[in-house]
Amino acid sequence: MRVRHASTLSASAAGTGEVQQAVLLAGDPATAWTMSRRLVQDVRMPTHDPPTASWPARRWDVFARARTTLDALEHLAGGFGTAVLALVVLLSVVVTALACLVGVGLPLVPVALRGVRAVAGRERARLSRWGPEIISPGPVPSGLRAALTDPATRRELGWVVTHAVLGMFFSLAGLTLPLNAVRDLTFPLWWRLLSPDEAATASMGLWTVRDLPGALGVGALGLGWIGVTMLVTPGMARLQAWFGRRLLAPDPGTDLALRVAQLTATRAAALDAHAVELRRIERSLHDGTQNRIVAVTVLLGAARRAVARDPADAEAILERAQDAAEQALAELRGVVRSILPPVLTDRSLSDALTGLAVGCPVPCRIDADVPVRCAASVEATAYFVVAEALTNIARHSRARHVVVRVRRRDDRLHLQITDDGRGGANELSGSGIVGIRNRTEAHDGTFMLDSPTGGPTTLTVSLPCGS
Amino acid sequence: MRIVIAEDDPLLREGLALLLRAESLDVVATAAGPDGFLEAVDTHDPDVAIVDVRMPPTHTDEGIVAAVEARRRRPGLAVLVLSAYVEQAFATELLAHGSSRLGYLLKERVGRVEEFLTALHRVAAGGTAIDPDVVAQLLARTRPDSGLDRLSPRERDVLALMAEGLGNTAIADRLFVTDGAVHKHIRSIFAKLDLAPTDQADRRVTAVLRYLEDAQRRW
Repeated sequence: MRVRHASTLSASAAGTGEVQQAVLLAGDPATAWTMSRRLVQDVRMPTHDPPTASWPARRWDVFARARTTLDALEHLAGGFGTAVLALVVLLSVVVTALACLVGVGLPLVPVALRGVRAVAGRERARLSRWGPEIISPGPVPSGLRAALTDPATRRELGWVVTHAVLGMFFSLAGLTLPLNAVRDLTFPLWWRLLSPDEAATASMGLWTVRDLPGALGVGALGLGWIGVTMLVTPGMARLQAWFGRRLLAPDPGTDLALRVAQLTATRAAALDAHAVELRRIERSLHDGTQNRIVAVTVLLGAARRAVARDPADAEAILERAQDAAEQALAELRGVVRSILPPVLTDRSLSDALTGLAVGCPVPCRIDADVPVRCAASVEATAYFVVAEALTNIARHSRARHVVVRVRRRDDRLHLQITDDGRGGANELSGSGIVGIRNRTEAHDGTFMLDSPTGGPTTLTVSLPCGS
Repeated sequence: MRIVIAEDDPLLREGLALLLRAESLDVVATAAGPDGFLEAVDTHDPDVAIVDVRMPPTHTDEGIVAAVEARRRRPGLAVLVLSAYVEQAFATELLAHGSSRLGYLLKERVGRVEEFLTALHRVAAGGTAIDPDVVAQLLARTRPDSGLDRLSPRERDVLALMAEGLGNTAIADRLFVTDGAVHKHIRSIFAKLDLAPTDQADRRVTAVLRYLEDAQRRW
C-alpha cells in the first residue's frame, strides 16, 4: 500500500512518533523540524503496489474492460448510423459532380454541400456527447465560390469519404464480433435443429459438428469471440471517432476566437472575484478593527476625564480600553490571515491546509501529496477554495467527515473535497460555491460539483500549476 | 439633555453611553440599528440623537436615511451623525434639509471629550457642527467660478470655522485674533460671495451652504 502524508485532527500517529524521536535526536526544535520533515517526506515516497494485492485489482479490470467494450459497441452502433448517412450523402455528392461534368449540376452543388454539413453536424453532436464538445462552424457560406473554398466544407468532404468507407468498415466489423459470439455461444442449444446436409458446420467452417463435444467446442469458440470483442472494439471505436474529431473540429482560427471569448469571461470573473475580495477586506477592517480602535479612543477620552474625578473609575475604564485594543489586534490578525495566511508563504500548502482542518468544526482529514511547490497564486487559490468549501460544509452540509485530497499531476494541482453530508449543494444555494468557481476559473482551472440529494458531496477543482 | 444613541458596534455603543453618562448627560436609550433607533425616538422623545452612518442591514448609509427620517417625524430633533470616514456626499445629503441642529463628525473626535461635548451642546442648542476634515475636503474641491476662489487664505480659514458651526467669539479664539478682526473677515466674505446685508445669521448659513452646493455640483 502507498503511504501518504495524512494529517488529521490528532495528526498521523506514526509521524508524531518520528517527530518526537527527531526532537530527541536533534536537541533543538528548529533542526528537529527539518529532520522530521525529511522523515515525513521519506514516508511519502511512493512505493510499488505489492503483487499480493493484484487479484482483486485484475477482476476489477475485467469489469472495467467489459464496461468500456459495451460503451465502444454503443459508439460503433451510433457511428454506423452516421456512416450510412455519410454514404448516402457521398453518393449524392458524386452524382452532383458527374452532373456538373455534363454541365447541368451547378444548381445542385449548394444542396449537396448543405447535406454534407447536416450529416457532419449530426456526427459532431454524437461525438460531443462522449468527449470534448466540437463546435459547429455554422451554416455553409452562401455563394457557390465561398461555399467551395470554405475550409470547413473541404474538411467535411474529407470526413464524409473517410467515414462512409473506413467508419462503415469499423462499425460493421465491430458489431459483427459480438453477434458471432452470441451465435457460437448458443450453438450447443440449437445445432441439432440444423439438417445434417448443412453438416452443422461451425461458424468459421473449421470443422464439421457431428456430436455434442463438437458443439461444445463451438460454444468455447464463442468465448474466444468475446475475448476478441473486448480486445479490439474499444480501439476501433476510438479510431472511428478520431477521424471525426480531427476533420470536424473547427479550424485553429475559430478555436482561437473561442479561446479569447472564454478568456474574456474568466478575466471578468477574476476582476469580479478581486472586487468582492477587496470589499470583504474593507468591510472587516471598517466594521471590525476600525470600530475597535475608535472605541479605544472614546474610552481613553472618558478615562482622562475620570482621572480627576474618580481614579478607581478611570482604572475600570482604562481596563476596558485595553480589552478593546487587544480585540482590535486580534481582528487585525484575522484580516491579515484571510488576505494571505503567513503559513502558506513560510511553510507549505499542506501545512496551511492542516491549519484549516484544525479550525474546521467538522472532523477533517487532509490527504496532501504535493512534493513540488506550485506558483504562490495557485497555492493561495487552492487554500481559499478549501477554506471556502470547509466553511460551506460546516454551515450547510451536516457532514460528519470531510476528506480533502490534494495531488499534483501533469503540471496541474488537483483538489478533491468530499463530505458525507446531506448533499443537494448547488451554485444557486449559496454564494460560497460561486466564489469557488470564480476563483478557479480566474486561474484557468476547472470546477466540478457533484452533490446528489442525500449526499455525498464531491467538489473537484483542478488548477494549472503555473511553475 | 435627553440623548438616544444608534450604533451597531456594541463596544462603541457602550463606550459612548459610558462617556456621556459619566458627564451626567441623560442617555435614555441605545439602539443597534435604524429600526430600533426610530422606535426609540418615538418612545423617548429625545433632544439629541447620536447616529452612526453605517448600520445594518447593508452597512452603507442607513444612519443618514434614519437621521433624515427621524427629523421628518420630529422637526425639533437635534442630530449628530458620526462617521468612520469623511464622505461629503453624506454631509450634503444631511444638510440638504437645512443645517440647524445638525452635526457631522468623524468618530474619533469623540475621544477629544471636551471638543465633542462642545459640539454636542452646540447642536442641541440649534447650531451646526461639521467636522474640520469634511470642511477641508469641501474647500479643496471648490470650483473656480463659485466666488470662493476670490477669498484670501485667512478668509477661507474663517469660512471653514463658520462651516464647522463656530460662532464669532469661538472663531476669534481659534485663530488667535480679536472679535473685531473676525467681523471684518466675515463682512469681506459676504461681499466677495455677493451676499446682500439683510440678515446676518441667514448669510452665515448661506455662505456655508455655498461650499456644499458647490461641492455637490461638482459630483
